[in-house]
Amino acid sequence: MSAVYALYSSPDAAQRAVNGLYAAGIAQADVVVMSGEPFEAQPFAHRDSATWLWYIACLGGFVGLGFSTWLTRMTELAWPLQTGNMPIVAWWPNLIVIFELTMLGAILATVLTLFVTAKLPGRLPKLYDPEVTNGKILVGVENPAAATLPALERALMAGGAAELKRS
Amino acid sequence: MHKWGMAVDLDKCTGCGACVTACHAENNIPTVGPEQAARGRAMHWLRVERYWEGDFPDVRLKFRPVMCQQCDAAPCEPVCPTYASHHTAEGLNAQIYNRCIGTRYCANACPYNVRFFDFFNPQWPKPLHLQLNPDVSVREVGVMEKCTFCVQRINAASIGAKGDKRELKDGEIQPACVQSCSARAMVFGDLNDPESEVSRLSRSPRGGKLLDDLGTLPKVTYLERQTQV
Amino acid sequence: MSEAYSRKLGDDLLRPLLETSWRFYLIVAVLGSIVLMGLGTWMYQMYMGFGMTGINNPIFWAFYITNFVFWIGISHAGTLISAILRLVNAGWRRPVTRCAEVITAFALMIGAMFPIIHLGRPWLFFWLVPYPSSRQIWPNFRSPLVWDFFAITTYLTGSVLFLVLPMIPDFALVRDRTTGLRRKIYGALALGWQGTPKQWHRLESAMSIMAIAIIPVAVSVHTIVSFDFSMAPVPMWHSTMFGPYFVAGAIFSGIAGLIIAMAALRKFLHLEEYLHPVHFQNLGKLLLMMSLLWGYFVFAERLTVWYGNESAEIAVLRVTQKGSFAPLYWTMVVVNFVIPVSILSIKRLRTIAGCVVASFGVLVGMWLERFLIVVPSLGHKYLPYSWGTYRPRPVELLITTSTFAAMCLLYTLFAKFVPIISIWELKVGEQEPHETAQERSARVLGEARP
Repeated sequence: MSAVYALYSSPDAAQRAVNGLYAAGIAQADVVVMSGEPFEAQPFAHRDSATWLWYIACLGGFVGLGFSTWLTRMTELAWPLQTGNMPIVAWWPNLIVIFELTMLGAILATVLTLFVTAKLPGRLPKLYDPEVTNGKILVGVENPAAATLPALERALMAGGAAELKRS
Repeated sequence: MHKWGMAVDLDKCTGCGACVTACHAENNIPTVGPEQAARGRAMHWLRVERYWEGDFPDVRLKFRPVMCQQCDAAPCEPVCPTYASHHTAEGLNAQIYNRCIGTRYCANACPYNVRFFDFFNPQWPKPLHLQLNPDVSVREVGVMEKCTFCVQRINAASIGAKGDKRELKDGEIQPACVQSCSARAMVFGDLNDPESEVSRLSRSPRGGKLLDDLGTLPKVTYLERQTQV
Repeated sequence: MSEAYSRKLGDDLLRPLLETSWRFYLIVAVLGSIVLMGLGTWMYQMYMGFGMTGINNPIFWAFYITNFVFWIGISHAGTLISAILRLVNAGWRRPVTRCAEVITAFALMIGAMFPIIHLGRPWLFFWLVPYPSSRQIWPNFRSPLVWDFFAITTYLTGSVLFLVLPMIPDFALVRDRTTGLRRKIYGALALGWQGTPKQWHRLESAMSIMAIAIIPVAVSVHTIVSFDFSMAPVPMWHSTMFGPYFVAGAIFSGIAGLIIAMAALRKFLHLEEYLHPVHFQNLGKLLLMMSLLWGYFVFAERLTVWYGNESAEIAVLRVTQKGSFAPLYWTMVVVNFVIPVSILSIKRLRTIAGCVVASFGVLVGMWLERFLIVVPSLGHKYLPYSWGTYRPRPVELLITTSTFAAMCLLYTLFAKFVPIISIWELKVGEQEPHETAQERSARVLGEARP
């Protein structure tokens, strides 16, 4: 089969199962955890928390800043039209457009990075159970080696209050 | 480089309104009809304002023709989102009809209320359509328009002078209002030429500008008797 | 947090999506026909000419610009509640955030229509977009209207994303609870969301960044809208105070709109267990604070004008406080300040009904405030010969009414197709309080506590 997993009603039970899987020799990256809400208090939820998102947002802001500075200055010089005794390249009004596009750059960079790193949009993987959105936490392993299967099943059942499933 | 300006002598103005009529005829300005005029939509690029001064029996009547002041620091220019209102090299405030999308911000910003909006497509019932000036475009609904100092006459004279390889003479260009003023109260010319009549009049001690404390730098000088209050 | 509660949340908050009553169809039919009538009126206005409105010389802006500022103001609800309360981690925001963010998104969309509706040649509105055109001409970046375009685009993009991102896990919930075509559609909207820790971390980081970014954008948007007025040399427009004044007024009207929306949702969708009186009390306190702040700004502005005694400004002041606009002005003062402060400062009156009454008053008052900023000043500029008056015409009244109907309609449709309360955020709010790592590992591994 392609995956073995179990569903848990409480985050503590899920944590026990995850600990059991580590003890059975499964690497952290191979343990699949899914939940209907984020759990900040649990160690199993702390994986993959390091992110470059903040830096990328700032980078997006700088891209917006550069683009808008260039756009306003270039267009004002491309066909210089005198308006109301203001200079041709009017910095005060340009600052407003520059600010807006800077923020837009940061926002778009954030959302794009979110989609790319969270792999959205994506297909639902084979290892998924609708009970996840009902409040259960899924812990499982994809493509387990046949030899480790009994150890895995023991680890998953040791978490308690679980139904073991295969898919 | 020319810098076009005008001077209007209020002590000579009789309020006859010939300038207003001439402006309508020259610039294809529609009459909006009594109902629209009552709603405040009359489109007189040049209007003659009438003021009563003093108490009976010392009442004086004063007329003031007001047209676009072609301000050098025009508040109507920076606010136009499409550059339909901008400043030309010769000091005129240009209004480009086909660039105008009708936000009417320029009209709000103008302290002189000299900008007008085409609320409907103008109608010239036959045979009035034969009277239209071919040198001036007819504006469609939704655009702003205003006095241009008869830029079509300025351009025609400039091109003619260039063709003849000579300079423009003072008084050669006359906008329709200047040309038709029965009291010769209005003068048009080049403010950059210190010898022109309009330059001379703009330096007159009788001269003042309309709303000049707003900093718009208008280019129309109004000459009137200065009284001690 | 028990599994039973999780199921109950899903049941209660998905019921509006899964069950439809005849009342829904009736509301949609009535509101939809009003909206269609509004659209038809706009087509009529474009066909017959802008003269069908009450606009004249010198009052070139009236109802449509009032509506524009009003709706952009309402859109500040979502940002304040969602972003600021998210950043200070106020727990009571959880059932309220999506209600608020929806108001922002739709109010912005409606507000953004008005700069197009009020154009003389609306089919050319795209000339405000900086694109390389064959005419080789660009928009004028010095114009506050171009600033409006950029500000509203940025804010709309940010708000819609801020609204849509936390909807993804809820779409996954709906996907898992439905079958057939619904399942396919919500599955596509859920973008394949699984709920792995990595996805949750990325989502929460993105939401934090968006919350930080959207607040200055919101402040800048209504400041820029106020610049439409303060950049013009018009008496009582050319005020340095307009930026903060408008932002305060926007937040004020936004909270009022939010209270009304929440009260309606609570009643029609039976959300009494999720929207408690304490939520309305807290929002009522915010509304009270904003009412006082609004009163402060109005007082400061008018005192400065009255004291400064500049003749053009005094003329405008006089016409609003004593002249032809006085009935509207004093109505505004009563419904924006006197009534809300009276109701909301007395705890016994600060009930859901009391907050709703105050909020309706505020919506009326804030609309009047925008109108009284735009029209009296334009009617009394520097040359008294050109002063004028304004009366709205049927096209303006119909289009204005239809935008209110459009807002209600969009909101109703949204509540039908998307859970109006963020289910996963409510679940997070119900989690057990945080223990230290030591206590937690002791509990999980079954060891004795240290």
